[in-house]
Amino acid sequence: MTDALLAGDLPLPPRPDYLRHGSTIASWLTTTDHKRIAILYAITITFFFFLGGAAVTAVRLELFEPNGWLLTSDTYNKLFSFHGIIMVWFFLVPSIPNTLGNFLLPLMIGAPDVAFPRLNLFSWYLTIAAGAFTVYALLAGGVDTGWTFYTPYSSMFSNSHVFAAAAGVFVVGFASIATGVNFIATTHMLRAPGMTWFRLPLFVWAIYATSLIMVLATPVLAISLLLVIAERVLGLPIFDPARGGDPILFQHLFWFYSHPAVYIMVLPAMGVVSEVIPCFARRRIFGYDFMVYAMLAIAGIGFFVWGHHMFVSGQSALASLVFSFLSFIIAVPSAIKVFNWTASLFRGQISFESPMLYSLGFVGLFTTGGLSGLFLASIPVDVHVTDTYFVVAHFHYIMVGGSVSAFFAGLHFWWPKVTGKLYPESWAKFAAILMYAGFNMTFLPQFFAGYLGMPRRYHTYPAEFQIYNVMSSAGAGVLAVAYLLPLGYLTWSLFYGGRAGNNPWAATGLEWTTTSPPPPKNFDRQPRVDRGPYEYHAEGMSAGTDAPEVQNARDIR
Amino acid sequence: MSAPPGHATGAGRLWRKNLVIWAALLALLLLSLGIAYVPMGRITVAAGIVIAVMKSALVLLLFMELAKSGSLIRLAAIAGLVFLIAMFGLALTDVLTRT
Amino acid sequence: MSDESALLREPWFDFGRQREAGKFGIWVFLGSEMLFFGALLLTYTVCRIEHPDAFAAAGRATNIWYGTINTAVLLTSSLTMAMASQAAASPARLRRLVLACLLATALLGLAFVVIKGFEYKEDIDKHLVPGAGFALPQPGAQLFYGLYWLVTGVHAVHLSIGIVLVGRLFWEFYRRELPTQANPELEITALYWHLVDIVWIFLYPLIYLPGRSS
Repeated sequence: MTDALLAGDLPLPPRPDYLRHGSTIASWLTTTDHKRIAILYAITITFFFFLGGAAVTAVRLELFEPNGWLLTSDTYNKLFSFHGIIMVWFFLVPSIPNTLGNFLLPLMIGAPDVAFPRLNLFSWYLTIAAGAFTVYALLAGGVDTGWTFYTPYSSMFSNSHVFAAAAGVFVVGFASIATGVNFIATTHMLRAPGMTWFRLPLFVWAIYATSLIMVLATPVLAISLLLVIAERVLGLPIFDPARGGDPILFQHLFWFYSHPAVYIMVLPAMGVVSEVIPCFARRRIFGYDFMVYAMLAIAGIGFFVWGHHMFVSGQSALASLVFSFLSFIIAVPSAIKVFNWTASLFRGQISFESPMLYSLGFVGLFTTGGLSGLFLASIPVDVHVTDTYFVVAHFHYIMVGGSVSAFFAGLHFWWPKVTGKLYPESWAKFAAILMYAGFNMTFLPQFFAGYLGMPRRYHTYPAEFQIYNVMSSAGAGVLAVAYLLPLGYLTWSLFYGGRAGNNPWAATGLEWTTTSPPPPKNFDRQPRVDRGPYEYHAEGMSAGTDAPEVQNARDIR
Repeated sequence: MSAPPGHATGAGRLWRKNLVIWAALLALLLLSLGIAYVPMGRITVAAGIVIAVMKSALVLLLFMELAKSGSLIRLAAIAGLVFLIAMFGLALTDVLTRT
Repeated sequence: MSDESALLREPWFDFGRQREAGKFGIWVFLGSEMLFFGALLLTYTVCRIEHPDAFAAAGRATNIWYGTINTAVLLTSSLTMAMASQAAASPARLRRLVLACLLATALLGLAFVVIKGFEYKEDIDKHLVPGAGFALPQPGAQLFYGLYWLVTGVHAVHLSIGIVLVGRLFWEFYRRELPTQANPELEITALYWHLVDIVWIFLYPLIYLPGRSS
């Protein structure tokens, strides 16, 4: 085989790529192509992202003034609840796994599709149905329980549309389970010849670990919401303390899902960053094996720490102690990952393209969020700052600073592959830096306000906290611009962007060996894999400067 | 494909094997029914659960052929069990030690 | 291998691999189902720890005959389901046996639902529905019956899905639309059926046996 053939540059017979392979609406709505389903998901979550964003814009506007000026307290409660529900279940949980993961998992392992393509489409329809329930809950008057649906408020007292919202989350949970089952089976059964477990890109490992959590944790969320619905609709006394029920049990069930769900949201982000950093540092990832073990450890231990959300709930002191200890343990694999990302930069040929800027932003913000998590794992500090803005800042550093930054990193990194178009790089760099600045401006003051005692979920606050809230709200405005920019220039690039080559970043990895955009069955030739995923330079050398070799391919037609 | 050794023998072998399992399941059902009426306090409760574990082990291993399955499928079954035990263990750590 | 080409689906090249993936996929889903019912059983366990006497009294109020007969019905349906699955997997051509066993399985499943219906009716007549006019005095007994209705209801939904799946397979095999031999859908349906049976195996001592000895 010649080098040209190896590089995949041989002129192949013309055939439509997946985007032009059928152009009717029906061909999209009945597609079983994982790449098209990824696009369907991308459109869906973009819609929900801006819906959830609109809700929080109103919240931040309200918080400009200590005593409120825009919303009633009732509307305020409904808006932050809606923001949480939408952002957690309809944006963050499906964001990276169902868009980038769906698109890339088969490409990265050299497969023509996921293991169960029809189940994949079914999962999208479930998401749509669930979204309809949730949007109905908003239109019908909203739900005011917060995204956590805590009992007995949600089951006995709230007069808002808890049923519709809980039903929406219940249904989207099954979409999540279906996706998880699909991805696990795909990773196990459809790897290309030579694609051994320790040659998998870390993004695939991340999606795999995420899928494990989706499959094993989500059913418990379904039960916790089913019990709330049953109590509301059928009058069962399960969480009613006056009739012998146990409201704290709800928190156990809810957090058994919702703490691992944090890792559903952040593990895929770690996967994206682990792809982007080696590419733009032209370095092998440092400590590949430990990155894998760390991700599996995070997925596993993530199940054993849920009680740190319940230190002030009345759970027993022994349980708090156990959960606190386990919560400290999970910092270890997270720290391994952060150190390995930074070590991967050492002796690299670093260039600061937009995906790299987003990824470096992720590492910093995730570290800040993670370290503030250690404060919260410690019982005495947690008791002091429970339900304050300290907690709000902490999890936004992980979820928004971490996951959303990484989502944008991945979006930019793989945009040429997904669409075949190049986006305007200077705009992208500007947006990345603006997002980092806007994010810190929004959430850093919340650490201070929270530490000084400002409680979350109130629409009024003492005047002494106004300075922090004004900073935060102003930052949110900057952040909103930074989120709208990519919507503009990425859409622009669809029509006017330059043609992207097969491998615009000179990255390793199977997805870059096929055309941009890929053909319907992903590869014209069955890929064969004979080495690891990040061979940017020879072993033992420092950063590579040349384009890496691409994988072998053999004809399957 | 090898020639079938005849209807009766293939089917007969399957019936013999599975009827034995079924008989064991029904025997265990009657056993747990009987034990439930013996006043032994907590042991009565435990006996009901232990027999349920035995019955489901029979179904899992023989009807669902877990005993013959590859390690991958066993792993999937065990994963569910491990996290189920973790959920019970940690939640009961709270419930049993509340004051 | 015309059988195999009729059963081969996208994106698979190899039927053996597809079959293995289907089996693995359903096992992963069953792992998820274990946690689903496990969470309900955890709820039951916590409530029972908090109200042991009420749960004993409430358990005594259930009808043990319905419960025991239904358990036997479901165990028998697992036998016929296993027979159908193993007969289809066997190299001997046992199409008639597969059909007979599938029909028996679906009918036994229906029998379970019908018996359960009679039991529900009796429970309603005996005022064992939580709320005003509940028959038992202890507050914890309402918890027991709240969970009873919920858990058996969720189980019945699962079983009904199973009946539809088995009935559909029977119909397709009967019309010869799909080959029975080595059919992955049959294997997958059988695994699901057995899990629903296992759930009931655990529900039996938890619902019908508490408080019988006191």
